[in-house]
Amino acid sequence: METLAALMNAMAIPEAALMISLLLTPIASGILVTILRRKRSIELVTVFAASLVLVQSAALIIDIINEKSVSAFDGNLYADAFSGIILLPIAGVGFVSAIYSVSYMGRQYQDGIVDDKNIVRYYQGFNAFLFTMLLVPLANNIGVMWVAIEATTLVSVLLIMLYVKENAIEAAWKYLMIATVGLAFALFGTVLLYYAATNVGSGEISASPDQSMNWTHILANAKLLDPNIIKLAFIFLLVGYGTKAGLAPMHTWLPDAHSEAPTPVSALLSGVLLNCSLYAIIRFHVITSGAIGSEFSNQLLIILGIVSVGIAAASIYFQKDMKRMLAYSSVEHMGIVSLAIGFGGFYGLYGAILHIINHAIAKPLMFFASGSISQRYSTKAMSEIRGLIKTMPITSVLFVIGGLAIVGMPPFNIFTSEFLILSSGFGNNQFLASAIVILFLVVIFASFMRHLVRMVFGNPKVEMKQDDMAKLAIVPMLLLAAMTIILGIYIPNGLQTLAQDAIKVLK
Amino acid sequence: MDFPQFDILAISSALLLVTTFGVVVRRGFLDWLVAYRYQAIALSAVTAIIAYVTGIWEIYIAAALTLAIKAIIIPKVLTFVTQKIKLDVKTEENPYVSIRMSVLISAILVALSYFLVQEITIKSDAVVAAYLPLSISLFLIGLFIMVVRRMALNQVVGLLIIENGLFLFTTALTHGTPLIIEIGIFVDIFVGVIISAILLVRMSHTFDTLDVGKLESLKDG
Repeated sequence: METLAALMNAMAIPEAALMISLLLTPIASGILVTILRRKRSIELVTVFAASLVLVQSAALIIDIINEKSVSAFDGNLYADAFSGIILLPIAGVGFVSAIYSVSYMGRQYQDGIVDDKNIVRYYQGFNAFLFTMLLVPLANNIGVMWVAIEATTLVSVLLIMLYVKENAIEAAWKYLMIATVGLAFALFGTVLLYYAATNVGSGEISASPDQSMNWTHILANAKLLDPNIIKLAFIFLLVGYGTKAGLAPMHTWLPDAHSEAPTPVSALLSGVLLNCSLYAIIRFHVITSGAIGSEFSNQLLIILGIVSVGIAAASIYFQKDMKRMLAYSSVEHMGIVSLAIGFGGFYGLYGAILHIINHAIAKPLMFFASGSISQRYSTKAMSEIRGLIKTMPITSVLFVIGGLAIVGMPPFNIFTSEFLILSSGFGNNQFLASAIVILFLVVIFASFMRHLVRMVFGNPKVEMKQDDMAKLAIVPMLLLAAMTIILGIYIPNGLQTLAQDAIKVLK
Repeated sequence: MDFPQFDILAISSALLLVTTFGVVVRRGFLDWLVAYRYQAIALSAVTAIIAYVTGIWEIYIAAALTLAIKAIIIPKVLTFVTQKIKLDVKTEENPYVSIRMSVLISAILVALSYFLVQEITIKSDAVVAAYLPLSISLFLIGLFIMVVRRMALNQVVGLLIIENGLFLFTTALTHGTPLIIEIGIFVDIFVGVIISAILLVRMSHTFDTLDVGKLESLKDG
């Protein structure tokens, strides 16, 4: 880490330029894709752009660790340690998804499911999606953040619409309508907050109207804001961004959209996009806590968290479709993060931060494996999938690792964060909430394992040769599986420092 | 505040409400789009009035954008799509809540929003007093239309009414967000309408209907 930092200092890239080039990379890549249009070259361009995004994000995060916060464009772009925490999954999952896309979309292309035109659209959408998500944690202005999150909806709807078939159209329609109405609520809350920030009691905030929509400015003046309006604004923001983050009971679009999207996009939707919306909620939670104390928003977050985990438990138990099961598991994990933020305290926040990252590692792994599996078996119905260990040995081992991680088995990464979160629950006298959640987690564990064991063992229903399909798809899965184990055993120093800085931002 | 000015505020509010009810009471696809166009024109006029009263020039730009995008381009796009769709039935035949009931409920929603605004202690000047409850009415009626209507196009129009309500809310309460964000929001809405237009065409091809109640292939279990 230190040598890397020294290297960065030697290269002396000013962090403002770094932030701008980070945002420009996917845009440039999208334009190149539009110009080149040849399948092989646009794949290369996208993978290259995604790796550039990864490298630049890493450099930016090192800057953040060194300097606590960085900003550009007169404070309009701003990143602190908490932005860094969200930047990690965006860049990381973006990178592995780009590699997996080459394999998955290549296979779809061979099977004649998508044609040349669709491939170009896919990679255009992929780059645009990456850009809109990168903008969310880097925007200081809460209005720009809203515009970016709404743009993520539009781009991801386009990616789901890639397939012209009944299920995809229905999923895209539901997603577009529900998410847009949700975000209308979020905009309502944003405007209320802006109103509160421009009309404080004493009227003595000296800032231009442009600045009074900035997160840093609102937080600095949180104490002066009108408590009633803040309460109202937070409820609207929670419902609005909660819809987009897949918190129950506003999650109804999520299983449809996540299961009908192309698999690499499913991984981005579940592993990254949900975190972006959660990021917005947590930012506003910090402002609300600063204005009226944390009790109000904590309780709301705990309630939504419990409901999410509960609904996910019931849905996973009865689930028949593999990708829908994974989608509901995302509802569960978003619920757990919301719960952790609600519990608060050092361990709650630390657990929440680790959980965001851990989920973003384990869930894409599961989606990638399930994508390869469903391509091999030509179905997503779990009842049709048997004997994976015989037909796809490598993929099935990775699938099992992902499954064990996602249900919170030691020694995998999610165990660590769930353990931290639940112990913070008990530590903060939230016995009832913690107990209920543990009960739900047991149900999820049992049903997930039952589905998994049935798919992996036994004999395939029809004779199949042993074949793991595309070797390229294995690479991103191996990377992710290795990280689930590494982060389960030990947390690197850099991540620890970043997480501790982020906790300071959130307290 | 002089009296005639208040009169303009009241008349423009009434106009905006009448156009909104135009969407509630009509059944035909094209009728909604006509009503929506009139609503957008009224909204643009209201925005210009706010700009005049407050004397902030940026709001004139927002008014012009409203006129260009919401009163001209969006209705054009949706009308084009409606004409392109080959369906026998282009009306809302059987909404979840009958048209008569919808009118009644919408009227109650309007009353409710005026009541709600009185309850919240918020600064009160002429603009806020006239338009804030109105904007919440639009928001609620749009939401109501989205929930009780079966036709996909009607849901899009409902969404646009919500958006108009939000726009009025923002302009009346905070005199507009910074212009760059205003433009960002306009772009988002515009792209959203284009995407939903494509989806409408595909839906009519694939399902042979725009009845959202008949989309039920995605279910758990």
